[in-house]
Amino acid sequence: MTQDQIPSAAPSLARLVRELNGLPGIGPKSAQRLAYYIIRMSEEDAFALADAVTAVKQNIVFCQECQNLADTPLCAICSDSRRNRSMICVVEEPLDVLALERTRSYRGLYHVLHGVISPINGIGPGQIKFRELLSRLANPEVEELVIATNPTLEGEATAMQIQRQLDREGLRVTRLARGLPVGGSLEYTDETTLSRALQGRQEL
Amino acid sequence: MAPPRTYRCDALTLRSSPLGESDLIVTAYSRERGKVRAVAKGARRSTSKLVGHLEPLTLVRLSMSQGRELDVVSQAQILEAFPQLKANLDGIAKGIYVAELIDGFGPEASSNSPLFQLGVDVLGALAADSSQDMALRYFELHLLEVTGLLPELYRCVECRRELEPNSHRFSPNLGGVLCAACNPVDAHVRPLSLRALKVLRMIHRSSINEAAGFPVGEGLANELKSLLSTTVGYWAGKEIRSNSFWEQLHKEATIDV
Repeated sequence: MTQDQIPSAAPSLARLVRELNGLPGIGPKSAQRLAYYIIRMSEEDAFALADAVTAVKQNIVFCQECQNLADTPLCAICSDSRRNRSMICVVEEPLDVLALERTRSYRGLYHVLHGVISPINGIGPGQIKFRELLSRLANPEVEELVIATNPTLEGEATAMQIQRQLDREGLRVTRLARGLPVGGSLEYTDETTLSRALQGRQEL
Repeated sequence: MAPPRTYRCDALTLRSSPLGESDLIVTAYSRERGKVRAVAKGARRSTSKLVGHLEPLTLVRLSMSQGRELDVVSQAQILEAFPQLKANLDGIAKGIYVAELIDGFGPEASSNSPLFQLGVDVLGALAADSSQDMALRYFELHLLEVTGLLPELYRCVECRRELEPNSHRFSPNLGGVLCAACNPVDAHVRPLSLRALKVLRMIHRSSINEAAGFPVGEGLANELKSLLSTTVGYWAGKEIRSNSFWEQLHKEATIDV
């Protein structure tokens, strides 16, 4: 029984439990625990949390260029004049941009698809930011497209569909290398990864 | 003595979905136990020993521990990854169609070894040549057979008389072919050409390799595709999403950039 079903629960508390329960991965018990934690928080901290939720819903928009989440029409990366505008790296989700930025090895622009082509879920190019990518690639300033979708079946399907719909002379299309992870073990590596690691071996 | 809490099975992975920070829920169809759903803990981490082993459309040998709600994958060894199948979008779409139908027709905890073998055989045939649509027609018809839903192809389902060599009608609802004389009220009835009936009988009798290589013209191929995909969709009782995906992909006009 959830808190909102207990007749004696205060309506405002029951509402909070119900809203928290609607979040992914939060069951009724976790929702109750979080609600009681919020009640015990200082007023300042609780209002800061509520304000952060309100602000994110009011201010976050898709960047007009890369479709990443941003507070302004152009995100910080797209509006940075020091970035290499001849390269676009296409990723599945905004978190992938953060992961690539942490490497400090890439200085080009991004394009966030907000999903991936998924035949089993019936998600095709129309349900993700695919047309926006093709429009950006019409710009002759773009010389290289780096496809950085995940090396999963769905990520591969997305990469293949991008490649299939590209028809522009002079555009270099590359895919992130696949192989052994740092700290991994050959013994436990699957055959597909290992054969790709062998294909992509490099001279020392 | 309590039964062992661990077991091994050979299984075809059908789909997976993320769970929590780094886990996966894997749905697979096993030879020994039918459809199984299990948690692969940490399988989304790049250094996990399970990463890459549980991708959809992979034949794997799984070591499992029984859990309270879901079983847990403790080890996985790839038996066949069908890399050629996954090397092009056509192959992926066809493989996912096969996986979706096995998922829909194979109940949990009820083994159906012929269904498992059919899945392995059709993925093998598609990996050898993913352009073969006839391998899918073989799969659809034999899927109906191994799940007890094979349509009647030799006698009229209404009057039980042997079918004459003519054009007929077909109803998935009534379970097969109708002769020219019978005209029951049924919204699912559709025409069936004599050529299509003969090819259906041939597919039923053949091995997958014989059926996959059988040459058919475009019109006949379309008739067979429409008839069999409608029939499996009827018995699945739901939309086959990978089918609509494929149609959407073909509708997407190539955009010159």
